Amino acid sequence: MKRETKTKKYVMKTVEIAFAAIFGILNLLPIFWGVVTSLKNPREINAFPPKILGFLPTIEHYEKILSSGFFRCIINSVVYAGLAIALGVLLGYLAGYGFARRNFPLKKLAFFLIVVGIPLSTGSSVLLIPNYMYLMNLKMANHWFTMPLIYTAYNLPMATWLLISGIKAVPGELEEAALIDGANQRYIVTRLIPPLVKPSIAAAALFIFIGAWNDYITASVLVTGNELKNIQMAIYDYMGFFGQEWGPLTASATCAVIPILLVFTFLGKQLVSGLTAGAVKG
Amino acid sequence: MKSGKKRREWLGGFYVVPAMALLIMLLIIPLLYTVYCGFFQYKYMMKGNYVGLDNYIYCLTDSTTRNAFLTTLLVTIAATVISIVVGLILALWIDKRGGFFAYIIELIGLVPWVISMVVAGLLWRWLFNGDLGLFNVILKFFGLDPIYVIQNKVSAVIALIFVMSWRTIGYAMILILAGLKGLDGSLLEAAKVDGATAVQSLFRIKLPLIKSQVLLATIVLTVSNFTNNTVPKVLTSGGPVNATNVITLEQYNLSFIYYEFGKSSALSVLIMLVVTIIIACYIKVARYEI
Repeated sequence: MKRETKTKKYVMKTVEIAFAAIFGILNLLPIFWGVVTSLKNPREINAFPPKILGFLPTIEHYEKILSSGFFRCIINSVVYAGLAIALGVLLGYLAGYGFARRNFPLKKLAFFLIVVGIPLSTGSSVLLIPNYMYLMNLKMANHWFTMPLIYTAYNLPMATWLLISGIKAVPGELEEAALIDGANQRYIVTRLIPPLVKPSIAAAALFIFIGAWNDYITASVLVTGNELKNIQMAIYDYMGFFGQEWGPLTASATCAVIPILLVFTFLGKQLVSGLTAGAVKG
Repeated sequence: MKSGKKRREWLGGFYVVPAMALLIMLLIIPLLYTVYCGFFQYKYMMKGNYVGLDNYIYCLTDSTTRNAFLTTLLVTIAATVISIVVGLILALWIDKRGGFFAYIIELIGLVPWVISMVVAGLLWRWLFNGDLGLFNVILKFFGLDPIYVIQNKVSAVIALIFVMSWRTIGYAMILILAGLKGLDGSLLEAAKVDGATAVQSLFRIKLPLIKSQVLLATIVLTVSNFTNNTVPKVLTSGGPVNATNVITLEQYNLSFIYYEFGKSSALSVLIMLVVTIIIACYIKVARYEI
């Protein structure tokens, strides 16, 4: 009897490990294989059977894309994401404070806009044609500020949402005590609260970064030309340009994935808790 | 004193004004503007005559659009169901395990969701590629005939559903896991003491209690899959022969290939209506409070 349960436990454990392995391989294989391909020379890429390891790595594909304007697109994406994070965190923080601490007219309606904005901008392609028509007519498309503004707007609902719950978690007595000590409102908003809600600010920044860095479709209709192209647009355009040359294609994909995975490794915890932290009331 | 406090509360509204201004400018007004545009004929961006509901009638009767809608429905439902079912199983599994192991699985699960859809589409396209793709290399290794996944109508649809589910399984898992972590442990303990089997406590206690969490994950994924056009655009480009031409690709093509902005505006409004219905369910389930 005892031995039987022991074997059963053993089998369960093996099944579990196998399950975890399959899950890990399925999730990471595309990226792994992309990186491997990007480091092979064209002859190795076309070789059958393909080598997983033990080939002479080359950076020729990286040199090729970097010499064809890819670096400019990386910089554009960095600038777009940076501006969107700065503006989004600032506006989201102020709005979060207002929602968490004050009762003002039309508060319910304003909050409704935040709640609706989250799913609306996840499917940003709903807003694709509307924003194209609208910004074209206002002559607001094709500027350096077009994409940062759009990315801020698309990710602001989520950022505000995260900051509301962050600020709500700070006890109100703290503010009252500061007021009694003679602090003014400006001190409270600019000095007292921000250090206390650092994790929420980090989570908000992270969500804006992912949204801005990964967007392809919105940028592809709102900006044109090499000066304004972002990294995802560059990768997509390479698919037409390089066709079946998988070396440069996977090299550009690798470049786009590295910063995301870096940020994700260090702030993964914030991301997981941001996704779940009171996102819903059961 | 009291009026001073009231004034302070009123002035509190100014904190949200900048954010609201941006959202109204870039989310709300464009949507209303599209509703307006949908009633006119367009030649590229030049507004023509008022045509009433013609654009809408076109979208509802045109066979390409209708097929695109049916394809979208199939892909959306299939991908969402797969993500939720697998995500639920994974969540139940790692909730039981807990600890560092669970954290690693969570992180690995989210990788497909944090990388861009262009990159994900491209990498899978490479894996599914003709003779050199890893998928066919593996098939050959086992002595099987290669499958040209993207070139074949049926397998292209399956590949699209596969990649879309692959992207969101981890995300579904995280959302459902949050529900499981919020469960009252003493309840499960009590059931165990009363002699409930693992299966019983799963179906009678766990699942009913995380129902709304699962429902919310389903709704979020439905919206996201329904409006996803990047993955189909990169993975299959709508082909072969329109087999994976989803509604958002049709909308994109109407605008930027045929320059029929009146029709594409009407189609955008129709897509928006579907999304609005789904979001209404979302708000109902989430029961937000402020």
